[in-house]
Amino acid sequence: MIAVLVVVVVFVKVLEQFGLLEAGYDDSVEDELELSAVRHRPEGLEQLEAQTRFSRKELQILYRGFKNECPSGVVNEETFKDIYAQFFPQGDASTYAHFLFNAFDTDHNGSVSFEDFVMGLSILLRGTVQEKLIWAFNLYDINKDGYITKEEMLDIMKAIYDMMGKCTYPVLKEETPRQHVEVFFQKMDKNKDGVVTIDEFIDCCQNDENIMRSMHLFENVL
Amino acid sequence: MAAGVAAWLPFARAAAIGWMPVASTPMPIPPQDKRKAQDGLIILNVSGTKFQTWRTTLERYPDTLLGSTERDFFFHEETSEYFFDRDPDIFRHILNFYRTGKLHYPRQECISAYDEELAFFGIIPEIIGDCCYEEYKDRRRENAERLQDDEEMDMNNDVAPVNLTFREYLWRAFENPHTSTLALVFYYVTGFFIAISVMANVVETVPCGTLPNRSKEVSCGDRYALAFFCLDTACVMIFTVEYLLRLIAAPSRCKFMKSVMSVIDVVAIMPYYIGLVMTDNDQVSGAFVTLRVFRVFRIFKFSRHSAGLRILGYTLKSCASELGFLLFSLTMAIIIFATVMFYAEKGSTATKFTSIPAAFWYTIVTMTTLGYGDMVPKTIVGKVFGSICSLSGVLVIALPVPVIVSNFSRIYHQSQRAEKRRAQRKTRLARIRAAKIRGTNAYMRYKQNGLLIDALEEVTAPRQALVGKSASPPFESQHHHLLHCLEKTTVRINHEFVDEQTFQANCMEISVVNKSGSRTSSLSSSPHGLSSCCSRRHRKKSSFSLPSTNNQELSTIQIRERPVSNSRSSLNAKLDETVPLKCDEAYISPSMVRLSAPVATSSDDASTATTTYSQSNIVRVSAL
Repeated sequence: MIAVLVVVVVFVKVLEQFGLLEAGYDDSVEDELELSAVRHRPEGLEQLEAQTRFSRKELQILYRGFKNECPSGVVNEETFKDIYAQFFPQGDASTYAHFLFNAFDTDHNGSVSFEDFVMGLSILLRGTVQEKLIWAFNLYDINKDGYITKEEMLDIMKAIYDMMGKCTYPVLKEETPRQHVEVFFQKMDKNKDGVVTIDEFIDCCQNDENIMRSMHLFENVL
Repeated sequence: MAAGVAAWLPFARAAAIGWMPVASTPMPIPPQDKRKAQDGLIILNVSGTKFQTWRTTLERYPDTLLGSTERDFFFHEETSEYFFDRDPDIFRHILNFYRTGKLHYPRQECISAYDEELAFFGIIPEIIGDCCYEEYKDRRRENAERLQDDEEMDMNNDVAPVNLTFREYLWRAFENPHTSTLALVFYYVTGFFIAISVMANVVETVPCGTLPNRSKEVSCGDRYALAFFCLDTACVMIFTVEYLLRLIAAPSRCKFMKSVMSVIDVVAIMPYYIGLVMTDNDQVSGAFVTLRVFRVFRIFKFSRHSAGLRILGYTLKSCASELGFLLFSLTMAIIIFATVMFYAEKGSTATKFTSIPAAFWYTIVTMTTLGYGDMVPKTIVGKVFGSICSLSGVLVIALPVPVIVSNFSRIYHQSQRAEKRRAQRKTRLARIRAAKIRGTNAYMRYKQNGLLIDALEEVTAPRQALVGKSASPPFESQHHHLLHCLEKTTVRINHEFVDEQTFQANCMEISVVNKSGSRTSSLSSSPHGLSSCCSRRHRKKSSFSLPSTNNQELSTIQIRERPVSNSRSSLNAKLDETVPLKCDEAYISPSMVRLSAPVATSSDDASTATTTYSQSNIVRVSAL
């Protein structure tokens, strides 16, 4: 009896192998179709020119680089992390890249299209100081509720320190990010309520010479 | 960092603004990008095929030819493009490397052509992408093997026989029996004796009829014991002598003793000696009988005589892992099926499957589809599993076999190729020699035409007909002019290029008058003695009228003009007279030709005047 069962089972498996019994084949085919259908074409050059502060030539150069790395026209988080990690080989840039991705992905659909990319860059490279500070605030405000809490700041700080990696001098200690966050909050949190609002943030930064100067650092990058 | 990612550097830098508010110290000053690289199109014209790309694409890899200022050397002003006189098909892949950051290897291209192109454009092959890396490495290895084979063959066959010591000569005779007749004879004799020995072993055991006072059949070995013993002794003598000679001749005795063939040799002759030592000891005679089995190893000695056997052995060695896998999987399957069969047949009465090891025999016989039938399952379950066993046996055995076969095929073809190359080598060398002779002939013609012009300038004005006759391409005429200058440089008296055949012939032969070899060119050897001889003769001759362009006539003219015949004494005298010149000789022209022995000695000791060498001086013409 057992032998008969065994034989039947083997027979069924063999038939499956030969595709005569299609058990659940359809799903995988559909998956494949879906992946290839994801393709994004950006808006026209004129529209982008109007919406951003880049010239035609600059947009062309940007798009060529973008399309080279992401032929499908959109960057998903994995690719984004890969690309960003290539610039920081010693440490782990994935956490910070995650925050950056959320900052660029303004419509929160899980992928950064060329428009998002270029808008973000436009603010960062050609925007006013105010706009840049607002962008930075958005980056720190992980849950986008308008307040930067200590936990959020700690996450960001840890992510930044992670990028440095282990081989630093002096050696990074566990509490360094925490101390850094304390310093930050002392500076920024005027009413000492434990959170930093956007106005406190902008005010404080505008009064700090170093920060002001550093905002103009990357203006001629492109 | 991949090239494409470099395009995202502006993004990474822009994103750094996110760090600014939390920074504790001021930021460093960014580098001044003075050279605002204008991103223009570059046209690369590769042998007529135009490629275009952005300038920044090429500059992603600044340590290659295209990415650095080195490409400016190839800039063509008239068409304002970069022109490369290289293969456009391979260039396509190189340009793709700049574009995508991945270097691919096209399978249809020759590996050395590809390597050359990579070297030209300054790209290291190690960055070939994973998709093509295996293929590239395989092809490269094959090419290297082929080159190595060629070199080895050259080394083997170029060693001049005279330089070998007796030991090396012996070793060479053993390894390549075709080098001398004696080695060939020895080779065949040993082969014959191996065959005789193996056949004797076999025939020894055949039943040869009964002795009168015994009822049992007696084997031939026992009946003709003495004859077989003598034959065995003779064979073992030969084998021992051969082994000892090989041991003596081996360049590295330890390595030789560890080699497989040597071990086989020892194992083949040991039983005889051990048998001699303990003939009368009954206790170990049982062991002695076992030792006789090892005599069959003599058949492996044939592998020295047969290349095919060697290839087979090499294949098995190189497929060791596949064979191991085969063995392992077979063992697994045997154990599984033996267990199953044993338990399946346990219930049946008077079954042959008494234990699992007993079932092993059944499993092996079934899996290899032998099916002796001495053990057969009787229960239904046993039969079912027996059939599954035989089906799976076929599969398990058939899987590694193609791998072994393909290995064998590859090695066999390799050896075929080596044979073919060896045969082609002779033609190749002959072709090279012919090309060299053609070159020297052309040079001599050039010189005569040049001399013609010189002489005729004094006489009549234009005789361009003769000049125009030698319509050699500008490269050749410049090359000949260069050789001529070299002749003139090696001062005082012009050394002249002489054909190597002539040179060697002169060194060998004494009679110069009979020598009608055409004077062709090859570099003469250094000697001061030579120069002195020539100088002597040069002073003797006042003017040389150049009537004929015939090589032969020139040489004969020279000989006729010589006042003194080829007597030793006069030559000696000449050399003595001009010995002081030797010291002034500043230049030693490089000798490309193999110097034969007498030449070397003459320069050292001019006064002893090695005759043959001096003879060569005479024939040489110092024309101007």
